[in-house]
Amino acid sequence: MAQLQIFTQYLKQYLKARLAYRLDLVVKFITDLISQSFNLIFILVVFGHTQTLGGWNQSEVVFIYGYFLLPWAIFGTFFNLWSFNDKYIIKGELDRVLTRPVHSLLQVIMESMTPESLLGVVTGLIVMGYGASGLDLQWTWYDPILLILFTIGGVLVYAGIFIALTSISLYTDSKTDIQPIVFNVSNYGRYPVNIFNRIVQFVLTWMLPFAFVGFYPASFLLDRGDWRIYAYLTPVVGIVYFAIAVLLWNRGIRHYRGAGN
Amino acid sequence: MNAIEAEKLTKEFQIYQSRKGLTGAFRDLFNRNYRSIRAVNEVNISIPKGEMVGYIGENGAGKSTTIKMLTGILQPSSGELKVNGFDPHNQREEFVKTIGVVFGQRSQLWWDIAVQESFTLLQKVYRVDNKKLLDRMIDVLNIGELLDQPVRKLSLGQRMRCELVASLIHQPSLLFLDEPTIGLDVLVKENIRQFLREMNQEFGTTILLTTHDLTDIEALCSRVIMLDKGNIIYDGGLTQLKQEWGEGKKIHLELDQEVSLEHLGKVTETLPVSWTKNEANAKLFTAQLQGNSITASEVLSLLVTSGVPIHEMQIQEVSTEEIVRKIYQEG
Repeated sequence: MAQLQIFTQYLKQYLKARLAYRLDLVVKFITDLISQSFNLIFILVVFGHTQTLGGWNQSEVVFIYGYFLLPWAIFGTFFNLWSFNDKYIIKGELDRVLTRPVHSLLQVIMESMTPESLLGVVTGLIVMGYGASGLDLQWTWYDPILLILFTIGGVLVYAGIFIALTSISLYTDSKTDIQPIVFNVSNYGRYPVNIFNRIVQFVLTWMLPFAFVGFYPASFLLDRGDWRIYAYLTPVVGIVYFAIAVLLWNRGIRHYRGAGN
Repeated sequence: MNAIEAEKLTKEFQIYQSRKGLTGAFRDLFNRNYRSIRAVNEVNISIPKGEMVGYIGENGAGKSTTIKMLTGILQPSSGELKVNGFDPHNQREEFVKTIGVVFGQRSQLWWDIAVQESFTLLQKVYRVDNKKLLDRMIDVLNIGELLDQPVRKLSLGQRMRCELVASLIHQPSLLFLDEPTIGLDVLVKENIRQFLREMNQEFGTTILLTTHDLTDIEALCSRVIMLDKGNIIYDGGLTQLKQEWGEGKKIHLELDQEVSLEHLGKVTETLPVSWTKNEANAKLFTAQLQGNSITASEVLSLLVTSGVPIHEMQIQEVSTEEIVRKIYQEG
């Protein structure tokens, strides 16, 4: 509970610091919107050539993509770990983190937060709305609850994988380029998984389970029951991956050798 | 209970040794050579509460590694370590509430946030609310005007004073200072030293000070621990250090007329003194007293009674800096 209090304090401070740069915030929102519209245009171009993709029509694919943006934006807000190696290992900021009475991972996460990325949720909802407008979706009372649950699960999957990859920096000094590769793989999660080769399907489900971030939950919301079980599994997979990542992190902190002075 | 109690504290690092050239690099891919290096070698440190101790050593002597073990950042390879009664690495989150840390070359504060907000955030992190102490520290270190500025806009001296406040916000009983006065001007240095003395006297804060600036240690510490290549080579009082390693005082003399070196040597032949002559000015001489067995007045009285015409004189004490240099050079 106390950790949660500290978390909100940090969030407040960071929001405050960010809001000081109003222009930055606007620019961030616009660039985010532009980059997402390029992805959207790509989908539309594909459907300019075909009616369906693996049994999915244009509106459905757009909806899946829009849904994918929700966990993606939340992940980007709270788990901005891209510069961890430079900032915390090479520059030695982790030393400071380790002299504070809060869990090291929580501190790193709090210090790397970019609250403005949360605007991506708005983008996501807009895209989802656009996709849904071409569909006749039946919403039940528990769908929004499931939506939130699935989103949290998706965020945990994302966070788990990238925290685990970030932990590598704690074991070795050398930089690894695995993050950008995995990041590219993560993009596959926003397309219907059944359009891919079986091996890719397997990888996206059981190894780097990015299908749980976008496709599986979204297909459930689209009332396509074929993947219902997978959709329900989303929070479980999220918790498992996140837990493994935290274990790896904690072990890594034991291995940490410190930066030279 | 001692503030710091370390027994045979050791830290080993596995260093990966790369082979020479491209073929070597290729071989490294398959078979790596590791060499282990002892950065800190079975060190025993015992520091009672309330003491101010200087921790010195050359670059690479293992100072930082020791500090990192004492502060819980690194896990010792072997040995016993209790700091404030905790095992620093394994009980880290509980332990760090009882210590304060300032790394001179790194900021402890948040770069983009105003100083005041940083303090507030730290109070939340440590779950303390002690406005009185905070106000007082702000007052003594004279940083009241800086509170609403973001840390990145502060000068080094301003920042360092803020860092000190930040490190003491939770009133720790033990404070680690790593190069706290590096690159600061004399006034700020004095201000910081005064502040540390106050904290030590009033709250009994134990202070372990790492520095290359020996004037810091002379101003604050009565005890010095000296480290070389991972081993403690001296642990004791500052005065004893001077006595053990000091070369003795120097007397600089300006005479009214030129005198030969032989004559001076003859006058003081009963005492262990060696004379040197200033090359530029024939009237200037320096007497180097060997060891601490004789005093300057013994030499002077001999000179005066044998009629050496002294115009002006100056006695030079041994500086710690010189002693330390000598110790390093001799190993």
